Amino acid sequence: MRLLKIAALGATALVALSSSAFAQEKLTMWSRSTSEAFMPGLIKAFNETHKTQIELQIIPSSEMVQKYATAAAGGSAPDFVSLDLVYAPAFAKSGTLEDLTDLAKSLPYFEHLSKAHIGTGTYEGRIYALPMSADASVLLWNKKLFKQAGLDPDKGPTNWAEIEAAAGKVNALGGDIRGFYFAGACGGCNAFTFMPLIWASGGDILVDDGKRAAIDTPQMHDAINFYRDMVAKGYVPESAKTDSGKNFFGGFATDKVGLSPIGAFAIGNLVKNYPDVDFGVTFIPGKDGGKASFAGGDNFVVTAGRDNLEAAKEFLEFVYSLEGQTLLAKGGSLPTRGDVAAEAVKDLDERYKIATEAMKMGRTPTSPVYNDIFNSSTGPWKQMLGQVFFGDDVKGSVAKAQAAMQSILDSQD
Amino acid sequence: MNSGVMTDQQQQLTDGRPRRRRTARQRRKQLVGLLFVAPALALVLLFFVIPLGMAFWMSLHNWPLLGKPRFIGLGNYARLLDDAQFWASMRFTVYYTLIVTVAIFSIAFPLALFVEKTRSLTKLYRTAFFLPVVVGFGSASLLWAWLLDVDSGLFSPAAERLGLMDQRVNLLAGFDTTFWSIIIMVVWKTAGFNMIILLTGLQGISTEVQEAARIDGASPWQRFRRITLPLMRRTIALALILSVAGSMLAFDQFYIIADGGPQNSTVTAVYWIFSQSFGSFRLGYGAALSMVLLVILVFISVVQLRLLRNPEGM
Repeated sequence: MRLLKIAALGATALVALSSSAFAQEKLTMWSRSTSEAFMPGLIKAFNETHKTQIELQIIPSSEMVQKYATAAAGGSAPDFVSLDLVYAPAFAKSGTLEDLTDLAKSLPYFEHLSKAHIGTGTYEGRIYALPMSADASVLLWNKKLFKQAGLDPDKGPTNWAEIEAAAGKVNALGGDIRGFYFAGACGGCNAFTFMPLIWASGGDILVDDGKRAAIDTPQMHDAINFYRDMVAKGYVPESAKTDSGKNFFGGFATDKVGLSPIGAFAIGNLVKNYPDVDFGVTFIPGKDGGKASFAGGDNFVVTAGRDNLEAAKEFLEFVYSLEGQTLLAKGGSLPTRGDVAAEAVKDLDERYKIATEAMKMGRTPTSPVYNDIFNSSTGPWKQMLGQVFFGDDVKGSVAKAQAAMQSILDSQD
Repeated sequence: MNSGVMTDQQQQLTDGRPRRRRTARQRRKQLVGLLFVAPALALVLLFFVIPLGMAFWMSLHNWPLLGKPRFIGLGNYARLLDDAQFWASMRFTVYYTLIVTVAIFSIAFPLALFVEKTRSLTKLYRTAFFLPVVVGFGSASLLWAWLLDVDSGLFSPAAERLGLMDQRVNLLAGFDTTFWSIIIMVVWKTAGFNMIILLTGLQGISTEVQEAARIDGASPWQRFRRITLPLMRRTIALALILSVAGSMLAFDQFYIIADGGPQNSTVTAVYWIFSQSFGSFRLGYGAALSMVLLVILVFISVVQLRLLRNPEGM
């Protein structure tokens, strides 16, 4: 009996020992499926040159949040996660994430890291998340169709009137060809591509540190009218009305659309998978000029309560090195460290430079209820866009959305 | 119902002093009966009663998917009263249930009458009508999402090619076209199932009764109205309750085909519960909504059972 007890104790000790030993050697990391093009390569390069080893697991993008939240509650969360930057505030607020403030400040190039990422990663003055990968929204135009329509194929539009005029001329080519494309039933896509129109015109979306919604503004109404006009004139394909994001990129890739605001991810994808599409990249402009961009991508976070800060620092230093940044850029992510960005993309397609610049001025609305307001398929942002682009009551819909957003923001505690 | 029987018998036990020996045997019999139902009871307890209790407990909390739950009493229920989208979803769900149930029965009943008579190819017809039922709701929805697609689907491009329309119409861009497309899809998917249920009812009616009526000179309509329908009361009740409960819990087809659109007009009650729980991470609030939906469903089922009870009492 006694022997049995000793044996059991011994076995427990062994298991405990070996698991802690494993934890030190092999760390686990999750990343969402949209990062599949660059994360595996980056991790592989890191593992080859470091003693610390990271095991990467790709999680379907749409399941990431629920999966990480439930795993964290159950104690089986991975050590590191590459998390869509808009979710960082929600996780930071819940206490799931390790405080990275000291680590961040110890990096000599901290000032050059993507401001938008650090912004969403900061909660109540502390930094919980640092930039991992990046994507910025830009405007793409189809050079072949521009040429056919008698437009200068090498010059992208610089304000809304020019976009509408160019879309009209391309649209006049007839047949299946349309002037402009956007995913009309996708909240997240339009946060990415529609908000910059408002920012570039001097408006805003969330103000007062993300506590107040400010969407019922002249800039918002101008931007809505701009899109409504193009829809009414038939420049936008019928399918855009119900595109919930599945065709966000596909619309432009058909080679039958004149202009479309998309993310930088489309550049690499078009070059690789649709070499026939001859396109140009420019900034998303404001009503009378100016430019803005939505900074998207992933933040790097560390699950709280584990002694992994050393390894995290080692990994981040690799990511932010020129080698790491170049690897990211090659795989389709924009560099996240500003002072080496130009160097990292110098061997890549010329058009990446525009996107890299867009990234530098990129903005991201920050709120723990971001998903609720903007991404949710039943949320106020998506509902409003559908009504104002394709419906009748613009004024009422905007006012209703403004109230609904504010009520969600107020009820978050 | 069970407990009612039990108390009756217990009363007998306490009253019936002189019949002591019989009581002991009866008691033993009861114990054996209890043993037989014990596994089923344990399953119901484990997989229904306890989770239900937990869901109710959750509904009394502010229970975020991330972070710690906080007790707020009936706060979720108070909030729910002002939740315009929930009541809009509830109204839409009831509207959908009414329409789809009528549609299903008006197809399933004729189908059942049609396949009941033995003629050549009867088995083939039965199989063909039942076939869509074995496709899962999720996969059927995906199939129809494609059929309804404006560019790469079937209906719109086909209508354009055949010259029925000048240009392609996006069927999912308007409420009516979306709604009726989904109704047609659900009828296609579930009419076969209801047909089978109704068919068992039809086959349960003895031919002698029908023949006697025919000899008495009853017309086919009279026979249907006075014999078939009354004798199928219970079968119809079963099919109706299954159909209504299923429709009140509709989710997949609206989520996959329409994404709740256009503009949230086809968000059903379950869809709203799902989006509150896992889109907005408010599990407690989602649980409260589920409780309300449960109460409404139980109420509807009780009303249906009452209405369809046999006039004789059983």
